[in-house]
Amino acid sequence: MWWYVAKRLLQTIPVFIGAVAILFLLLQLRQGDPVLNLAGNKPVSQEVRNAIAAQYHLDDPWYSQMFYFIKGALTLDFGNTFSGQPVMDLIKETFPVTVTLAFMALLIDAILGITIGTIAGLNRNGFFDSTALVISLLLISIPIFVLGFVMQLIFGVKLGWTSPTVGGDWTVTDLILPAIVLAIANFAYTIRLTRTSVAENLSADHVRTARAKGLSNRAVVRNHVLRNSLVPVVTYIGINLGSLMAGAVITETIFNVPGIGNAAYQAIQQGQTATVVAIVTFMVMVYVLMSLLVDLIYAVLDPRIRYA
Amino acid sequence: MRLSRRTRLAGVALIAAGSLTLAACGGGSDDKSEGGGGSKSVITVYGTNPQNPLIPTATNEVGGGDPIDNLFSGLVAYNTDGSVTNEVAKSIEPDAAKKVWTVTLKDGQKFTDGSAVTAESFVKAWNYGANPDNKQLNNYFFYPIEGTDDIGNTVKGAKTVSGLKVIDDKKFTITLKSAESDFPLRLGYSAYFPVPDSAYDSAGKITKEYGEHPIGNGPYKLTKSGWERNKQISLEPNPDYQGVHKPKNGGLIFKFYAGGGTDAAYTDVQSGNLDVLDQVPPSALTTFESDDKVKAYNEPGSSFSSLTIPERLAHFGNDEEGDLRRAAISEAINRPEITEKIFNNARTPASDFTSPVLDGWTDKVAGNEVLKFNAEDAKAKWAAADKIAKWDGKFVVAYNNDGAGNKEFTEAMTNQLKNTLGIDAEPKVYATFDELRKDVTDRTIKTAFRTGWQADYPSMLNYLGPIYATGAGSNDGDYSNKDFDKLIQEASAAEGAARYKLIGEAQAILMKDLPAIPLWYQNATAVTAKDLKGFVFNWKQKPDYYALTK
Repeated sequence: MWWYVAKRLLQTIPVFIGAVAILFLLLQLRQGDPVLNLAGNKPVSQEVRNAIAAQYHLDDPWYSQMFYFIKGALTLDFGNTFSGQPVMDLIKETFPVTVTLAFMALLIDAILGITIGTIAGLNRNGFFDSTALVISLLLISIPIFVLGFVMQLIFGVKLGWTSPTVGGDWTVTDLILPAIVLAIANFAYTIRLTRTSVAENLSADHVRTARAKGLSNRAVVRNHVLRNSLVPVVTYIGINLGSLMAGAVITETIFNVPGIGNAAYQAIQQGQTATVVAIVTFMVMVYVLMSLLVDLIYAVLDPRIRYA
Repeated sequence: MRLSRRTRLAGVALIAAGSLTLAACGGGSDDKSEGGGGSKSVITVYGTNPQNPLIPTATNEVGGGDPIDNLFSGLVAYNTDGSVTNEVAKSIEPDAAKKVWTVTLKDGQKFTDGSAVTAESFVKAWNYGANPDNKQLNNYFFYPIEGTDDIGNTVKGAKTVSGLKVIDDKKFTITLKSAESDFPLRLGYSAYFPVPDSAYDSAGKITKEYGEHPIGNGPYKLTKSGWERNKQISLEPNPDYQGVHKPKNGGLIFKFYAGGGTDAAYTDVQSGNLDVLDQVPPSALTTFESDDKVKAYNEPGSSFSSLTIPERLAHFGNDEEGDLRRAAISEAINRPEITEKIFNNARTPASDFTSPVLDGWTDKVAGNEVLKFNAEDAKAKWAAADKIAKWDGKFVVAYNNDGAGNKEFTEAMTNQLKNTLGIDAEPKVYATFDELRKDVTDRTIKTAFRTGWQADYPSMLNYLGPIYATGAGSNDGDYSNKDFDKLIQEASAAEGAARYKLIGEAQAILMKDLPAIPLWYQNATAVTAKDLKGFVFNWKQKPDYYALTK
């Protein structure tokens, strides 16, 4: 099993290089000159333009930019942003709030989603089930920014229960509202996935056998239905953590959360190639590690899965 | 102890999850900024994370510019109406020809580190800013001074600007390339601020540390927490400050809003988390003046929007055909319709090339009827141009999609052109501002494009010379007219009514040639907390931060 983990970790090296290459190639497609963005409406001399471009390797071909980037990455030096902040510091500052936000959303998603989904699955076609299905359909169809602005207006501005924005001095309490918004779309899918999975397992052979053995209903549901039903749900939720962090861009903007999505968005706007690559590569790595984690949890849930 | 396989797996998973959570505990420090200043309250204002180090000559965007304006004092300070008062300077005297200016400094001026503000503090900082080796974005501001090229760089090979001479500790002279009677008006801009000796390292470069925690001589200084990246910049009153902008509040906090921030900032003003937002988001433009949770401000401002049709485009040369076609396009645009329907009256249709907030502005510029919607005349002029050379193809207007309202107004404008002139017209999108500017700056753009100007200093001439003079730094359309150049130069040297008369004549030439077609003035809009007092827009469309109280 440890060999399996080591193998998977080794695989992250080509993923890293591949991600960096794709990112640099994609960013090539972004036309424009970041230096002119810095200059705004004011003229900037060719000399200054060239000097700044040289400092950030802006005019080099993508493969040599990539070379500088990987060379720096080996020593964990990802260069500086235009304002002179090391990109590593930027990630260190912004990542914690995004992770906290994503985990809070994940927690809401998992607890509510699995609970409601299980109850709905056990009472298939009952009143609770139908209501849950309709509500989840509604939640799926509302775009996240609509939900974000509406909830911000209601709970932040009108009712004043919580601060409508988060800002630099963020606390976990400030993040509750954004986390709920972020969780809602995913949580609707989790309900539906759990419900179907539970309903299917209820009529499976091993459950019938368990019932035939005379086990109590509670034991049957907990040990034989739920655990088997959770395999696809865990996959979904685990992979979701990655997309929750990426999807946080919109939520972070609405609620002014100083997270990594916001930082990436600004860097893209300003054409700060190295910063964008560093942040996105970092996210790719998080995603890869999350999927490894999910694969390991599989084996915990399903004894038939073995890693060698 | 023998662990089951499953327990071991769970262990690995837990460790992995644990390390992620540990990484998450790094941030979220909650040290409160020490505002100080007795019972006076600290005002929180809208800001964005500065894009450059906080060095006066390196910062030209508002995120860094607003804090810098409060951290430093120049030779002169701007009053609310755009006139100037001597600040660090005791006197700024020209010679008879208005070419050599002698600056004498007041006694006892200090930086917040205790060192004295001397003539050298200014001259060294300006030399530093003008030298292209130092990559300072504001070097363009030094172009009027002898010893720099058209764009403000020190002339080839020189490390210093030859027009700057230190006489003694308290006195220096500035020699200009040509006579300019309102030169001191420029000197309140941040590019002209002094920098203390402690900012430079042994190689003569301004250090990274200084750029993060600048030491100035202004109304405010940084608090101990200072610039917290991606969070805020906190300022407290500078107790040694003797100038004209003595803070009336207990400090300022520029709270950063990232991404699409003004929307979030607006909600914060509504709910009392932010005191001042000096630009209302487009989403709130229709409602902000009737919103009872905030105080609203809306008045004509100092930024100017135009449409530039470069002379190198076919049919738009500097000849009769080009003039007719430009005039036809200008008359085919219904400005009031666009400012009302698309901008909710947060723009005011333009009647000249400058801005209504400036001294000497008038709506009676000769020939400005070309800026009025007149479908008949537009058609007639277009037809007259067609007689010279037949029009073919498409009229395309480029815009950048990252600015609010650009897409909407460009679409509306090209539709108006289509309907009025009966030609094929369409917008062309650039995703970001710098993508558009790259094609414009490199002269590779093959279409008309939107342009804008925000003044560097409060003078009508700043809206004319830098944009339309031959070879000027922002002359995106490569316009050149000897008569115009001459009038501008004469106006620079003239004073009073004579000056405004010359400016009027220069504008009349522009009305005829239309190197850029004036569209509208952007209004200054703001919302503040209900209990905030002392909010007034200055000529820069910014509040006078020192005067804010609550």
